[in-house]
Amino acid sequence: MPEIEHGGGISRRSFVTGVVAFLGSVIASVIGIPAIGYLIAPGLKKHTSDEWVPIGKLEDIPMDIPILSTFTRTSQIGWERSATSFGVYVVRKSADEFDVFSNICTHLSCRVSWKDDQEAFVCPCHNGIFGKDGSIISGPQPRPLDRFEYKVEDGTLLVHLVEG
Amino acid sequence: MAAKWISWLDERLGLTTIYRTILDRKVPKVNWFFTLGSATLFLGVLQGLTGIFLTVYYVPHPEQAYDSINYIMTEVSFGWLIRGIHHWGASLLVITVFLHMLRTFFYGAYKYPREITWVTGVFLLLLTLGMGFTGYLLPWNQRAFWATTVATSITETVPFIGPFINTALRGGTELSTLTLVRFFSAHIWILPALVVAIVGIHLYLVVRIGISHVPAKDE
Amino acid sequence: MDQAEKKRYEERYQAEKQRGEKFFPDIIYKDLVVSFALFLVLILLATFVGVSSEPPADPSDTSYIPRPEWYFLFLFELLKYFPGQLEWVGTTVVPVIAILALLLLPFYDRGPLRHWRKRPIAISVMSLAVAGIVALTIMASITTPPQEEFSVVASVTDEIVIGQDLYGLHCVECHGSEGEGGEIVSVEGLEGVVVDPLNAPDFMYTRTDDTIFNVIDYGQQDLGMQPFGKAYGGELQRSDIGAIVTFMRYTWDDRVEIPQEAAAAGAVPTLGPDDIPSYSLHVEPIIRRTCVSCHRPNRENNEYLMQTYDEVMNSGINAPNVIPGDLNSNVIRMILREEIEAGGPMPPTRALKAEWVEIWIRWVEGGAPEFPLESTDTPEPTPAP
Repeated sequence: MPEIEHGGGISRRSFVTGVVAFLGSVIASVIGIPAIGYLIAPGLKKHTSDEWVPIGKLEDIPMDIPILSTFTRTSQIGWERSATSFGVYVVRKSADEFDVFSNICTHLSCRVSWKDDQEAFVCPCHNGIFGKDGSIISGPQPRPLDRFEYKVEDGTLLVHLVEG
Repeated sequence: MAAKWISWLDERLGLTTIYRTILDRKVPKVNWFFTLGSATLFLGVLQGLTGIFLTVYYVPHPEQAYDSINYIMTEVSFGWLIRGIHHWGASLLVITVFLHMLRTFFYGAYKYPREITWVTGVFLLLLTLGMGFTGYLLPWNQRAFWATTVATSITETVPFIGPFINTALRGGTELSTLTLVRFFSAHIWILPALVVAIVGIHLYLVVRIGISHVPAKDE
Repeated sequence: MDQAEKKRYEERYQAEKQRGEKFFPDIIYKDLVVSFALFLVLILLATFVGVSSEPPADPSDTSYIPRPEWYFLFLFELLKYFPGQLEWVGTTVVPVIAILALLLLPFYDRGPLRHWRKRPIAISVMSLAVAGIVALTIMASITTPPQEEFSVVASVTDEIVIGQDLYGLHCVECHGSEGEGGEIVSVEGLEGVVVDPLNAPDFMYTRTDDTIFNVIDYGQQDLGMQPFGKAYGGELQRSDIGAIVTFMRYTWDDRVEIPQEAAAAGAVPTLGPDDIPSYSLHVEPIIRRTCVSCHRPNRENNEYLMQTYDEVMNSGINAPNVIPGDLNSNVIRMILREEIEAGGPMPPTRALKAEWVEIWIRWVEGGAPEFPLESTDTPEPTPAP
């Protein structure tokens, strides 16, 4: 079958190739671009929270001994209400001075715990060791333990939980 | 440069052979009714793609199926589009499959030498209906629940083995988690696997034998 | 078909092929045009028609009329013609025969003729079958009664707002408009019963959503609470109960933060110092939350209904209860907790919040308008020259 010449001198074959490429890319982009948004949508959602969480009465917090305090917050994630647990270590330095550390290791987010015998916060994953003041003693972690803001109101210690 | 790359690939992959046997082959001159097959293939691929995307969020569990679809429709970017295409695509697909069959029938294209192509086509028609039937339950809404309750009850009237078919379909005597999960499995694994395999045979035969021609009055 | 016929067909086909065209570009081109058109149709359907929302599956709601997907309707309809004992003919024999007939078609229809005019029997059987399927489908879609309208909750915000209204309608009589509980005054058979508050951590922390859902659904008969779920003789759909639970959780559980737009949508708007409240903006939300629970049909309320503006203004044995501009209107006196001929203090259990009382008074004083005045803005002061 002879090639049919169009007015502009484009062969039928390359005309169709062009149309195939064009319509094909229209379909691909009408599906493909929304698909990217579709797949990453939950990652772009920010659920923010900013609140003061009561940790305990001052008289219950001993001097100079790190104690772990945990609390749970629920939030709507996807179509389910999920609970997220938080852990903070409170170290009382004086009557109204505290260090409040997150128990999340700054290396790869394992949970650190206080070891009385070593006088240190120890991360079980890669042997990260933090001092009582949160500083790095040894291990691969890039920075000292994260701290929370705190305040004392009506004899209760509150920490500032900010997310998002 | 591009030509060099192409010839390097061609040497190893045999692109020219594929091009010659599939694209650059001569076929009889046919009318627009002969586009129904490729339209069906196109819609099928689209159903596969959108279906895969839906499984990113969908959870086949009575407590969560409805909420997860609600989430897709209201919270996920373009979720309405993906589900909309999948929903309407199912209906269009049934229509094109059916019309494709009618075209084949009215042109006598099921006759020698295309008997097997026809038989695989009938299986594909049944599988398409099976996909529609199993997919209908997945949203776990009122419509889905009651339609499936009735449809599975219908199998109960089959002589002798009816009650057995019914409990086997439902995974028990009532519609339950088990029903939902097995319909889900059938919808996304079992039936699609069969469809892909049979479409493979169907297409192989179409290329091997060639598409039929429009019969003349004396044929 | 014998060998000669097969040979003749092959020759004919080769000839057609020679006169034919190339798969690429000729056939592909048509295929692509049609596929692309279908793609456009799909996008348009998905965008402008969408997928209709349905309420979640509710195995207890037997009032639902089941209907299959449209392409199974003909099968569904077909069964109507096989009554009782013969049902298995419709469900088994007919489909099996149809499938086998299709599947085996090329093996029993072996004649060499292909043009439709030369195959009268095959063509008429198939045409009849198709016509039958189309007719059955049409008949089924005409005869199936339309489904009852329902509301589908789209977001948490909508659900909270709907839940708040339902709570106002069904729960306030006993549990109070703020979930505060207290002594029940006006519910027949439960007078004097003291209800624990719902709006306290004691209640909300110790009960999961499922527990609260079940309590509303089955009631707590031993404590005098009737079942509210449709399945147990009440008035509420499962989705309604879910909305009430969501409303309660977001409003009274201090561990859960209410989305801002939900709080805004559920709130009674605050008044500026010179604004005249209107029924639609201010008074109706208050009524919905504190009054309609009793002031609706089938309750003891001196026939004073409060579900619409008209009812608020005109209904009741002691009508009119609201006289525009007159602060001696029954409603105002009763809200101010006076005991008058028309009845005692309202609401019976507990006085309204002071700011809501103020809204009522300023509304009646301002002529009890149904809608906000066109402009309540004070005119901009002209700048001094």
